[in-house]
Amino acid sequence: MDSALNATFEVLSFAAIVVLVVLGLGIIAGMMGIFNLAHGEFVLLGAYSTYLVYSLGLPVWLGMVAAPFAVAAVGLVLERLVIRRFYAVPVVAMLGTYALGLIIREGVRSLIGGRYLSVPEPIGGSLTVGGAQLSCWRLAIVIITTAVMLASYLLLTRTSFGLRVRAALENPSLARVSGISTNAIYAATFTFGAALGGLAGALIVPVFSLFADLGIRFLILGFLAIMVGGIGTFQGSVAGAGAVGVLSAALPWALPPVLADVMIFVLAIVFVKFQPRGLIAGRRL
Amino acid sequence: MHEEMKDKRTSLMAGRRRFLQGAAWMSGAVATGLGSWIIGPKWANSAAAAIKVGIATDLTGPIAYVGNATANVANMVAKDINGAGGILGRPIQLFIVDTASTESVAVANVRRLIQRDMVDVVLGGITSSMRNAIKDVIVTRGKTLYIYPEQYEGKECTPYLFCTGPTPAQQCDQIIPWLIKNGGKRFALPSANYVWPRVLNKYARELIEKNGGEVIFEEYYPLDQVEYSATVNNIMTNHVEVVFNTIIAPGVGPFFKRLHQAGFGKRRGRLACVYYDENALNLNAPNEIEGLASCLDYYRAVTAQDAGSARIQTEYDKQFPGKILFSGAATGMYRGLKLWEVAVKEAGNLDREYVAAALDHAEISEGPGGSAEMVPGRRHCRMNMYTAVVKNGDFEIVARSTGLVDPREC
Amino acid sequence: MLEIALLAVFAAAPMMLPDYLTIFVTRVLILALLALSFDLVWGYSGIMSFGQALFFGGAGYGVALLARDLEITSIFIVLPAALAIGLTLSLAIGTFLLLGRSPPATIFVALGTLTGSYVADRLARDWYYLGGQNGIPSIPPMTAGGYVFAEGRVYYYLTLSVLAILYLVCRFVVRSQFGLALAGVREHEARMAFFGYKVQQLKLIVFSLAGAIAGLAGGLYAFHEGFVWPDILGAALSTQIALYALLGGVGTLIGPVIGVIVIEILGFWLADGFPRLWPMILGLLLLLVVLFSPTGLIGLVVSPRERVGRFGRSPLPYRHADEGADDAAA
Repeated sequence: MDSALNATFEVLSFAAIVVLVVLGLGIIAGMMGIFNLAHGEFVLLGAYSTYLVYSLGLPVWLGMVAAPFAVAAVGLVLERLVIRRFYAVPVVAMLGTYALGLIIREGVRSLIGGRYLSVPEPIGGSLTVGGAQLSCWRLAIVIITTAVMLASYLLLTRTSFGLRVRAALENPSLARVSGISTNAIYAATFTFGAALGGLAGALIVPVFSLFADLGIRFLILGFLAIMVGGIGTFQGSVAGAGAVGVLSAALPWALPPVLADVMIFVLAIVFVKFQPRGLIAGRRL
Repeated sequence: MHEEMKDKRTSLMAGRRRFLQGAAWMSGAVATGLGSWIIGPKWANSAAAAIKVGIATDLTGPIAYVGNATANVANMVAKDINGAGGILGRPIQLFIVDTASTESVAVANVRRLIQRDMVDVVLGGITSSMRNAIKDVIVTRGKTLYIYPEQYEGKECTPYLFCTGPTPAQQCDQIIPWLIKNGGKRFALPSANYVWPRVLNKYARELIEKNGGEVIFEEYYPLDQVEYSATVNNIMTNHVEVVFNTIIAPGVGPFFKRLHQAGFGKRRGRLACVYYDENALNLNAPNEIEGLASCLDYYRAVTAQDAGSARIQTEYDKQFPGKILFSGAATGMYRGLKLWEVAVKEAGNLDREYVAAALDHAEISEGPGGSAEMVPGRRHCRMNMYTAVVKNGDFEIVARSTGLVDPREC
Repeated sequence: MLEIALLAVFAAAPMMLPDYLTIFVTRVLILALLALSFDLVWGYSGIMSFGQALFFGGAGYGVALLARDLEITSIFIVLPAALAIGLTLSLAIGTFLLLGRSPPATIFVALGTLTGSYVADRLARDWYYLGGQNGIPSIPPMTAGGYVFAEGRVYYYLTLSVLAILYLVCRFVVRSQFGLALAGVREHEARMAFFGYKVQQLKLIVFSLAGAIAGLAGGLYAFHEGFVWPDILGAALSTQIALYALLGGVGTLIGPVIGVIVIEILGFWLADGFPRLWPMILGLLLLLVVLFSPTGLIGLVVSPRERVGRFGRSPLPYRHADEGADDAAA
């Protein structure tokens, strides 16, 4: 009984983490058709800024609040300087993000001396529910992720800004003709996506510790999630991330680790083959 | 008053001389090219007669912190040797290349070491896959001596390849009985999926069962796995008493954290991780690793018991203050270089045959962790082993081997 | 013109270079072969394959196992075997990804091949028979009867010949009617389907051909380096090759070859001079090329007119002012 409770909670909390990471990636991909190969590095930067703040002696939660803004700033700069030139050629944009990711990753690696660093969680300890020990911080992550998701959803559907964003997403030329500045929207979206990535990094760094390759694992999961969930809608990204996250966390409980590792990918590809629009029909993949 | 002025002048001159030497050294290094790292000797005309030592280690990549430590140690030892007059009257010159944790890059760089720089010996390689990748280039095609200075799984018996790091026998023989006495009989072996844990576990399992323990489960995980809830659940529900861990970074931090959160420590469970050195202490908060047992050839705490170790540690800290620590990860490099120095002095020349023959039985009386000696015919090194336990975020030595431990290889 | 010049340079190179550099360039040439296979699928057919390393590494492991377990090192067996392994793997993957009721989107193929590469990497890493993390070391050198192909000049010329021959094969394919059909598929798939071309089968054929080439490169690599390990199967190498090819300039066959050569040599030189910073510097340089010459390095040297077998517009879906006129010229 405790095992089941434990397992459920663990699976849910990891799925929440994946959702948080993928949200930013999905928004950028859906909006601009650019698969941001540097998104993992946005996560890394969020983790790194949190660590920086902590190493200066300030409380960790302060770093976590600051991280999304720091990473958003970086995202904005990158978007203005590099990404925006290639909206017409997403492939080259992908290349550009790859190069950027490489630079950021190696830069962080040399800054932390290639080491693995631990960051304490702002809310430590665990709750005992039933017979299971639930980590307080992971619970916090689940709660924060849900809040962020809700907030983003409300932003997209209930505000005029959100309306413009969705318009630019569905039909860019019509949006432009209607007087919506797609450039500004794109910049805002990229920045928002980066901020989400930064937040994800900040929240997960106490769980997984800081190291230069932190982002890569999540990047791959992220692309799978987008494929599975469907590009072009907010719900799609969430659904895909949820599915991938749940599978990714649940399979190791049932299968030997070697097999579990591989199955998630095979399952995702097979699924997309037969359901190309993804879970929630967005733009056709 | 004259005395004072003379003193002042001497000290000024000494300061200036040191500054000039430093500047000359740096500009020499820069002038000889942004090429491979070279430590220029102090002697003016001896560059032609220098003995060339190649160091191939991970200066970049995920284990760069180990690689940079070994590079630092090499620099320190080279400076030491040159300061004492060199070997056979000749200074040694280091050529340091990056193996970058990427085998293909490493092979190309090492080949350059052998063919362009024509080094007389190569020390380096950290992981076994790196060692396997570069050993052919050095030993077979390059006909050069190769000294591998890291802890590893053993079974490397290639001629002209000498190993100066701990082997499974050295790491397990002392700690397993200690764990059974100070932890319990029910063992779990969560491991990273590559060759070192596999071979180590095989040896450990035999020893565990010989000492009356039992292995409840043995599992292998992908190297970049960071989620271990299923494993931790397994450990707790099966009432495991000793977790003999060989998961490495990045997984080990989250794994220990999760284990601690599940209450393993509170239940008097014992954590064991034989590779854990001072670098690894950063991976977790102190309360998560309290009581963790490890077995290596050196810890900083050893400096309290061994004067030689203390001297080396102080020297390193002085020359390389900062984040790259001197720990068990870099001791093999020290040992390897010093043993090689002894061998060359005995051989009287740099011919591979003669040096190898001398290295075969070389001994040093001072080193990190104490003395060390090569086992004749086996190309592996006997050394002191220490069992240490983490207390309040730092290592405390709880046991020391009686004498040098046999590596039992080849 | 450019191609002949390059061939001459590379044919003469071993005479002037020390042995260790010749060996280095041999490896680069093998990687160039891999990049060539990528260009065939992406530059000419619009199939974004992020999985060429799968065929490369798969064949590499295959011949390594042949050498280790069956002690077969004869060039007359292992190179065709490498080709066959590459072909089989790509046929299998291609059938799954490319055929079906409705043609797949570019991104699906990209991610599908990336996944294939990633999965192969994980499997190789976890499977002890394949050597796990450490791979298969100490592969004996390739032989032909009693003759041993050691690293150095001989292997260099072997590789150069293979590269030259396959380059010509690709050139022929791309300029043929088949190539014309491929270009049509790249430009507007639906239209080609309406014309009655079996688009899916066309794509499968070229995908398999590229897979075979990648496999052959893998076989050469295994015997040249003397060891294989999971990285040669994985997503990192696949993405790297795609990157080098894109930087060199896709759709030109010679572009990716140049791209690989330039970047690898640059990386090697940088590593020599900046032992710690070189990955960052490389990334910066890549970024600069992307920013200032998105059509790749080849765009700096060769005008769009001279691209080999280019029918219609550049594979990059944006318009240059001068390319409208090229439709008739090519």
